[in-house]
Amino acid sequence: MKVKADIAIIGGGVIGTSIAYNLAKRGKKVILAERYDHAAGATGSCDQHIILQSKNPGIHLQLALASAEIYKTLERELDAVVDYRQDGGMILIENEEEMKVMLDFTARQKKIGLDVEILDRRDAEKRQRGLAKHLLGATYSPQDAHIDPLKMNLAFARAAGRLGAEILLETEAVGFIRQGGRVRGIKTNKGDIFADLVINAAGAWAPLIGEKAGLKIPIKPRRGQIVITEPVSGYIIGDILSAQYIVAKYNPDLLAKSDNRAIQLGVGLALSQTEKGNILIGATREFVGYDLSNSREGLKEILKNAARLVPGLAQMNFIRVMSGLRPYTSDGLPLIGPVQGLEGFFMAAGHEGDGIALSPVTGRIVADLVCEGRTFMDVSAFDTNRFALY
Amino acid sequence: MADNAEKVYVCRCEEITREDIAKAIEEGALTLSGIKKRTHAGMGLCQGRTCRKLITEMLKGKKDPAEILPPTVRPPVRTIKISELIEGDE
Repeated sequence: MKVKADIAIIGGGVIGTSIAYNLAKRGKKVILAERYDHAAGATGSCDQHIILQSKNPGIHLQLALASAEIYKTLERELDAVVDYRQDGGMILIENEEEMKVMLDFTARQKKIGLDVEILDRRDAEKRQRGLAKHLLGATYSPQDAHIDPLKMNLAFARAAGRLGAEILLETEAVGFIRQGGRVRGIKTNKGDIFADLVINAAGAWAPLIGEKAGLKIPIKPRRGQIVITEPVSGYIIGDILSAQYIVAKYNPDLLAKSDNRAIQLGVGLALSQTEKGNILIGATREFVGYDLSNSREGLKEILKNAARLVPGLAQMNFIRVMSGLRPYTSDGLPLIGPVQGLEGFFMAAGHEGDGIALSPVTGRIVADLVCEGRTFMDVSAFDTNRFALY
Repeated sequence: MADNAEKVYVCRCEEITREDIAKAIEEGALTLSGIKKRTHAGMGLCQGRTCRKLITEMLKGKKDPAEILPPTVRPPVRTIKISELIEGDE
């Protein structure tokens, strides 16, 4: 195989396929190389939240809000059913300390335009039955939604294909074609793909791809384990997180210092129910390299935590567990944009647990930057070159 | 009869037919995991115990059987109650 495109994308997950779709829509000739298959990485092993409330008030939330706008009409745009539902979401608050953090967190989120409020225990119980008696209350936002990530990934891929993008599955990027100082394409196990620009959208594996181009991409795989119950009739309304999850997400240092095992494993509640009735119970946030296994200890701590907050879950049966690697960055923001000193190479990875939520807007921003050199929002915070890459 | 022939359920738990699987293969699914992600076959109560073999048979036409890797099969081996895992060690 020896093929030529305007743009070659590495990674067929939700981010890579969203970029492929958006670039194909602008008339670019796109070839996407995926090592295994769609949804083979984090996209196929995550929960289903498009939750805005969990986003740090600031550029992170602005990005998520812009993505949520696109989501509202995305099924129509892609002519696909992806089980998008905006049922709102809650973050459960257990103690005064968390209440203080969430009061501040939500006040700052409101300023950026998120519709969010704090409910007392009784009002929280009206939205979600079966909450633990010790809870003080919960935050609530009607803007939170969820989706089937597998369907989303495939919908982007199919739409990109209809617009002429070529998607090569079981095609592994093994190196780069260099000419002078710049990148001219990808070497794969199936042959060479020549392109004016190569986009690294390999998620948690992006640093391994970067290495082949001589770059040190500061993304670390962070393992999230999730438990799936048998289908039950409607029980969990919308998305439910715990304030503890917010702490786990934004304070990894705090976690390392704790002697509580659940806290060390980064356990924070993430609950939702699929269209078919399975309840997804998450999750851990662990740094264990590229180890994709499930641990008995991790699963146990997830379930203990979930049953502590929603006691009725203890009586349910679970049928499957999974584990995925989220592409973590130290400042919680993705890397989107060109790499200084390596012409022809572009980054679009590092969304940690927000890849599904941020995929529509990431595709749009990348297409804007590639085709026009600018986009609709200030994206300097995502600048790949904020980190030392060499 | 023709209609019935197409309504052969390969995955009973998730009600996925032979036709659904064939469509996924036609679209490019090359592995059991690829079929699962496109159709949800194998995601139900029995976790693919029945359909795994049938789908492997269907994939044989597309790929050397020696190269059809087993899917990631995750615990539990049998459906168990959440409280049993929580209290199991205590």
